[in-house]
Amino acid sequence: MLKLNHISKYYNAGTVNEMCLFQDFNLSVEKGQFVSVVGSNGSGKTSMLNIICGSIPVDSGTIYMGNKNITPLPEFKRLRSIGRVYQNPAMGTCPHMTILENMALADNKGQSFNLRPGIRRQRLDFYREQLKTLGLGLEDKLQVKAGVLSGGQRQAMALLMASMTPIEFLILDEHTAALDPKTAETIMELTGKIVKEKKLTTIMVTHNLRYAVEYGDRLLMMHQGKSVVDITGSQKAEIRIEDLLEKFNAISIECGN
Amino acid sequence: MKKSIRHLILTAAAAASIAAFVSACSPSADSPASSPASDGTQAPSSADARNPSLADGALPDSGKTYTIGIGQFAAHGSLDNCRQGFLEGLAEEGIVEGENLTVLFENSQADGGIASQIVTNFASQKVDLICAIATPMAQSAYGVGRKQNIPVIFTAVTDPVAAQLANADGTPVGEISGTSDKLPVTQQLQMIRAILPDAKTIGILFTTSEVNSLSAIEEYKAAAPDYGFEIADIGISTTADVPLAADSLLEKADCITNLTDNTVVASLPVILDKAAKKNIPVFGSEIEQVKIGCLAAMGLDYVALGRQTGKMAAAVLKGEKKASEMNFEVIEEAAFYGNAKAAENLGITIPQDLASSAKELFTEISQ
Amino acid sequence: MTLFLGIIEEGLIYAIMALGVYITYKILDFPDLSVDSTFPMGAALTASAILAGISPVAALFLSFLAGAAAGCVTGLIHVKLKVRDLLSGIIVMTGLYSLNLRFAGGRANVPIFTQETIFENPFLGSVVPQGLTAFAVVLILFFIVLVCKVLLDLYLNTRSGFLLRAAGDNETLVTSLAKDKGTVKIAGLAIANGFASLAGSVYCQHKGFFEISIGTGTIVMGLASVIIGIQVFCPDHRPYLFRLFGRTIGMRPTTAVIAGSIIYKACISLAISLGLEANDLKLITSMLFLIILVISAQRRKKVKAHA
Repeated sequence: MLKLNHISKYYNAGTVNEMCLFQDFNLSVEKGQFVSVVGSNGSGKTSMLNIICGSIPVDSGTIYMGNKNITPLPEFKRLRSIGRVYQNPAMGTCPHMTILENMALADNKGQSFNLRPGIRRQRLDFYREQLKTLGLGLEDKLQVKAGVLSGGQRQAMALLMASMTPIEFLILDEHTAALDPKTAETIMELTGKIVKEKKLTTIMVTHNLRYAVEYGDRLLMMHQGKSVVDITGSQKAEIRIEDLLEKFNAISIECGN
Repeated sequence: MKKSIRHLILTAAAAASIAAFVSACSPSADSPASSPASDGTQAPSSADARNPSLADGALPDSGKTYTIGIGQFAAHGSLDNCRQGFLEGLAEEGIVEGENLTVLFENSQADGGIASQIVTNFASQKVDLICAIATPMAQSAYGVGRKQNIPVIFTAVTDPVAAQLANADGTPVGEISGTSDKLPVTQQLQMIRAILPDAKTIGILFTTSEVNSLSAIEEYKAAAPDYGFEIADIGISTTADVPLAADSLLEKADCITNLTDNTVVASLPVILDKAAKKNIPVFGSEIEQVKIGCLAAMGLDYVALGRQTGKMAAAVLKGEKKASEMNFEVIEEAAFYGNAKAAENLGITIPQDLASSAKELFTEISQ
Repeated sequence: MTLFLGIIEEGLIYAIMALGVYITYKILDFPDLSVDSTFPMGAALTASAILAGISPVAALFLSFLAGAAAGCVTGLIHVKLKVRDLLSGIIVMTGLYSLNLRFAGGRANVPIFTQETIFENPFLGSVVPQGLTAFAVVLILFFIVLVCKVLLDLYLNTRSGFLLRAAGDNETLVTSLAKDKGTVKIAGLAIANGFASLAGSVYCQHKGFFEISIGTGTIVMGLASVIIGIQVFCPDHRPYLFRLFGRTIGMRPTTAVIAGSIIYKACISLAISLGLEANDLKLITSMLFLIILVISAQRRKKVKAHA
């Protein structure tokens, strides 16, 4: 499904501040897999997502989605089949547009943004139904601007919007990090439900080890641009937070933290 | 929210108070709407004219009072002289500011958008006549005046025909007439030949966006061969281009002559300075330029031009003639202005016959 | 009455341009200085077109299209060549100055007093009774502004319009929707400058001449209209907040911008009536700007404190 082959990425190449982020990094994700990614700050988790989405270019290596080489494609073209939810809840919605308008925007992804009416009346019930699944009462606030919603509400909408149209890939970039524990819990449950229902291939970066253990069928721990832990199947099912924490600490001590 | 209205009012009030403040502390700002005794009455010095007793002074016998709006496109010497002459011309006909004449004066500072709003403002104050100084102002005034039936008298419009303010045969296009400040090109060439018998090339700097300059350049090019001259011209677009363009022009030319080009005239000191270093004479096009160091000029007397315009305006105001019955007028006679100090610096003597015919011969260069 | 009509006329002409500035400044969050030259471009093209025998109405469309093309250039410079927004506007503004002179046949001043315009033609002469011509002018202007406003409102509610609003609101989302945010910006700039150029065309036909200096400060007028209109009539983009004598008055941002333009012209007219010199007007404008921005910032703070 997704293949990163021999990816290299340097920051500030050629200067004294040169920093190697990835050197010959390889990753392959099967169709339908839900990968949780953990790792310390600066380990390359978010950079990896950015490389997949095309937000930052690679120095060398190729990225395949299915059988297609997407390396030369710009970000917006890659996102045709990718849904992405960011850490910042404000990134997933338009604050000055109403909930209805936001839903209509997301609904139109992959189609032409032409001169036909922005809101399709016949889709109203569908939007309400979708919003209802969030259980936040947003279905009754269609005319409210997204900007007045709370972070959790916005993130729930962002998740909904990112996965509304048929996509193959869902990218979650620490999408619960900016939320309070209770809201984060709700959003995670929602995430699990959506991924399961739509059978999406998913990569989730998180700092919450418990989520990493509880969700997903594959676990990746990143450190200095390499995956130091990569477990799937029964191994993944059996791993406990304590094991993970231990490994985490081992790496950190190695680094002198 | 009521707050919104309050803010609106507050803002308007703030704007008004700033307006009042600025006009109060700026000595040159005329406030004609509030006081009929504003400056500019005949005397060039405004301080003398600010005499409150004038306002309550007895009206002349006719008893008729007039209100006119003077719109000036930009502030510079010749245009100011025009306005001064205009008021003098009116006064000679018995229409005196502060007695039987209220003058509303506005300067648009070379902003076309403001010019049209100034004129609209005049129209709303029901002026009897609009005096428009310089081409864009005259066009704005005509645009409004013809709809509101207000006669327009213009001055300092170089080519009224090209500006569509007059028909090709000189007859008015509507209730509009006035005077043209077309340069006396042939007299100027004649004068340069008299002062510099050996010069071959005359350099001219002009702004490509000024219509008046374009037509003047054409005329110079057409007339120059008759006097054995060639014209070297360089077009500029902003003041910032002047120094480089002047350098390049001074390489080619034996002398330089000026038009009434606003941008170039404003940078004249720069050109004079550069020319002086290479000992190249610079000729002006009117008195103000000679005053600040041009060698000589066959120029228009803008005060006289204004005075002539004022008389035309008086005829319209008194109902003797309609603006649509008067062809626009041109001052035929150019006067010689010379600067002896500039001549001395260049080591040039101004021929005796010219010097003796001089309308004014300056003996120093004023800064 | 003349003064009132004068203010309305001026306000309406510049309102068309202000609608364009509303798109760039308020929707796209792009400070676009190119309107300073697309406004006179519309006027220059109109003067030349009318003198060449093209119908005045066609000149309006021509101006809009040319303005849109210029807006595309600003957009392309910004998006493709990665020049900063403000600078790409300045580049186009400066370059167009020279082109405008060429469009006007190398002249800085082109009168069309004797030509037919949308305000003065045999048809109007036969329909409108003498004495009502002043009102006819206002009506024509009102009609043009209304058409522009309604079309813009309709457009902003199409899918393409949604994307435009999203581009100013949240660029990331546009990318997430698999659309190139650059293209959306270019489209927005094209529409905005089309409006500015159209306003220039109307200006030229209204005044009866083109003059190169009319573009000076267009962006300031546009910004003033947008900021005054939006802050006074629909703060925080929320319509239906303006109450007058206890009644809530609904006002879309586009309507507010038009009202803002008229208010701005009224302020300028007031300042001129008070005997101000034109060079002081800029100071007044900047003060007006500052006051409105400060007041609206304070109000926003209060709203936040209550929330």
